Amino acid sequence: MRKLLLFGIVLLFAGFGLTAAGQAESVQQDEPVVIRIQGYGGQDPAIVVRLLNEVIGADLEKDNIKLVYEPIEGDYNAGLYNSLSAGTAGDILYVPVETAPGIIATGQIQPLNGLIDTTPFIDSLIEAYTINGDIFGIPKDFNTLVLYYNMDLFDEAGVEYPTDNETWSSLARKAEAISALGSDMYGIAFQPSYDRFGAFTFGAGWTPFDSQGKTNLMDPAFVSTFTWYTDLIKSGAAVMPSDLGQGWTGGAFATEQVGMALEGAWMIGFLNNDAPNIPFESALLPAADDGTKGNFLYTVAYGINRQTENLDAAVKVLAALTSEKAQQFILEEGLAIPSRKSLADNPYFKNDSREARANKAVFVGSSTGNVLGYQFGNVGTDWMTPINTAIVTVAAGEVSVQEALQAAQREIDEMMK
Amino acid sequence: MKKQTFIPWIFLLPFLISLSLFFVYASMRALMLSFTNYNLFNDYTFIGIENYKALFRDSNFLFALRNTVFYAFFVTIVQTFFALVLAALLNIKIRGINFFRAGFYLPSVTSSVVITVIFLWLFQRRGMVNFILSRMQALIPSVLTLILIIAAVQTLLVLLEKRRGMPVKILELPLLITSMLIAGLAVTALNSFGIIPIPEFEEINTIWLNTRESFMGIPRPLWAIIIQNIFTTIPTLMLIFLAGLQDVPPVLYEAARIDGAGPYLQFRYITIPSIRPVLFLVLTLSLIGTLQMFDQVAIYGDAVPLQSVITLAYYVYNRMFPGGTLPQVGMASAAAMFLAVITIAAVILQRLLIKSEADR
Repeated sequence: MRKLLLFGIVLLFAGFGLTAAGQAESVQQDEPVVIRIQGYGGQDPAIVVRLLNEVIGADLEKDNIKLVYEPIEGDYNAGLYNSLSAGTAGDILYVPVETAPGIIATGQIQPLNGLIDTTPFIDSLIEAYTINGDIFGIPKDFNTLVLYYNMDLFDEAGVEYPTDNETWSSLARKAEAISALGSDMYGIAFQPSYDRFGAFTFGAGWTPFDSQGKTNLMDPAFVSTFTWYTDLIKSGAAVMPSDLGQGWTGGAFATEQVGMALEGAWMIGFLNNDAPNIPFESALLPAADDGTKGNFLYTVAYGINRQTENLDAAVKVLAALTSEKAQQFILEEGLAIPSRKSLADNPYFKNDSREARANKAVFVGSSTGNVLGYQFGNVGTDWMTPINTAIVTVAAGEVSVQEALQAAQREIDEMMK
Repeated sequence: MKKQTFIPWIFLLPFLISLSLFFVYASMRALMLSFTNYNLFNDYTFIGIENYKALFRDSNFLFALRNTVFYAFFVTIVQTFFALVLAALLNIKIRGINFFRAGFYLPSVTSSVVITVIFLWLFQRRGMVNFILSRMQALIPSVLTLILIIAAVQTLLVLLEKRRGMPVKILELPLLITSMLIAGLAVTALNSFGIIPIPEFEEINTIWLNTRESFMGIPRPLWAIIIQNIFTTIPTLMLIFLAGLQDVPPVLYEAARIDGAGPYLQFRYITIPSIRPVLFLVLTLSLIGTLQMFDQVAIYGDAVPLQSVITLAYYVYNRMFPGGTLPQVGMASAAAMFLAVITIAAVILQRLLIKSEADR
């Protein structure tokens, strides 16, 4: 019996050895240069595979480059830091704009100056990845917020559709008219969080970090925007998605109890799939009453790992991934808006479809008024939490605007100490 | 002889390798790093106890410490108590007991991440918790009336029977059922005639999660996590208690009954002493588990103000992967060491307490 056991163990180890040897051999037989891309999980792996198969694969094959996409599921940041530190990170990495300062500060991202021509890309996008003149990423695409509205509800209420020239006051009036349709009807869905609300503060002229790098929530521009936003929720003209049992304003919009919602281009695919019967259209975000618009720029860039052994091949892949061909594909799939300037005159935008119009609005939003990156300096996304709490507590009538903002200010000061 | 000692080592080897790699090596390295300024990417230098000093200047750490200590002691006590009560209830022999045992155990089978996501919805402003509270609030007048009428009718019936010379107890079952029926009919009548109206469904809009309000000095979101955690952990502990209870010899109870001991005395002087080792196990598991609470905080994430729910375990993670800035491995390791020390201290303290009672 014991002999049998020992024999089994020996056999097991021998098996491991053989497979390991087999793997080693197969690596040696692989001739193409393998470039590993590390990025988000979710739908991204499928998109990259399609991009590879349908658009850029043939070109890379000619250059004898093999592309492998390695998704990091869960906390992307934690996964990325670990693999960068351990030296196992991919050759090309996703660099999300909101955590870019930290990722670049690791010193593990290759500056791209002189390696890739960055002039064809939208300046504000490149800026978000520029530190002391060094450019650390090429934005793969971007999104901004637009105003989606449900034409049926506007017809029913006898209210004119929102236009590109809406102001806060005219938006509020229209929202009130829609909410008058019924007890469980609301004019607009407002996410109680800075990642949507912030766009309005930019329109009012507020910036997250002043000239000394400090955040000032007591700025009159911020306070008035905050009051306007929470008052709309309190009055019932606006509703928080969670009060309709939804996680985001898109979900609230799909219930057909809400007339308007602020989201990016990602909303189009969702509505086409989940609420195909809603006749929606889109407009630019409303402006502050002096006519200034504000917007967020959400983006993710491709960066190159400084430790890569195949810099030339990685640069080639990066160029292919951000080429006009690839961006046209992403655009027409309705996934995001391309980061190249030249695509402004893209014939796709002139299509007579609501999808094309919404995409065009997202594109125009990136250069209308005060547009800032979705970025929080060295603090990261934690910076938003105190503001989100302030919105919820004020909207619920738990505390006054003044109290809520003072508490949030204290917490942010503590963070930035 | 030699052969006999050789074989067990082979079986132990996989465990020993993983233990030495992922526990011994990892904790030694964390201890070492807690005295450095390592950030995953620099050549670190030793900076003495600077990290430990910095911890106590960081308000988030102090919040984490307060939350963790309160959470651990409160949850441990409450869930141990209820687990024991539940186990005692499920230890009786009635038809279909296995169904109840399985049913009560279900919350512990579900993964804590899934439960947390569900609770996120239950605790919404218009979620289930507020809905139930609103309903209960609306029914308070009716329920109070019901109880009053039951008491009145019961007293009346008992007095009548006593006058007839019957040996009735205060809660004599047939009489109680009669009073309940009468009271039920009376309240229904009062409700339908509008004398005691069921008030308009008044919504309770308590914000459970994204709020700075506190209750008894403890942030409301932390209470939400406490409620959820007690709900999910009780069944596991109950199962351990149940195993312990079934090992108590029935003869002890028989002897006690003959001596005239009631249920409380039996529980106090037979059950508790017999399951003391199990009690120690449960308390230890519970303390260690609560001191390391992490997943609920991580899932609640942006839905709650960080200071209200941050725990030491989450603080460690947050220092390690702050998002937007470089990891502070030194601080994270120092906080981890601190957590380890208080965990060990809590377990030793509790061991001493339980022992001293056993020796008494």
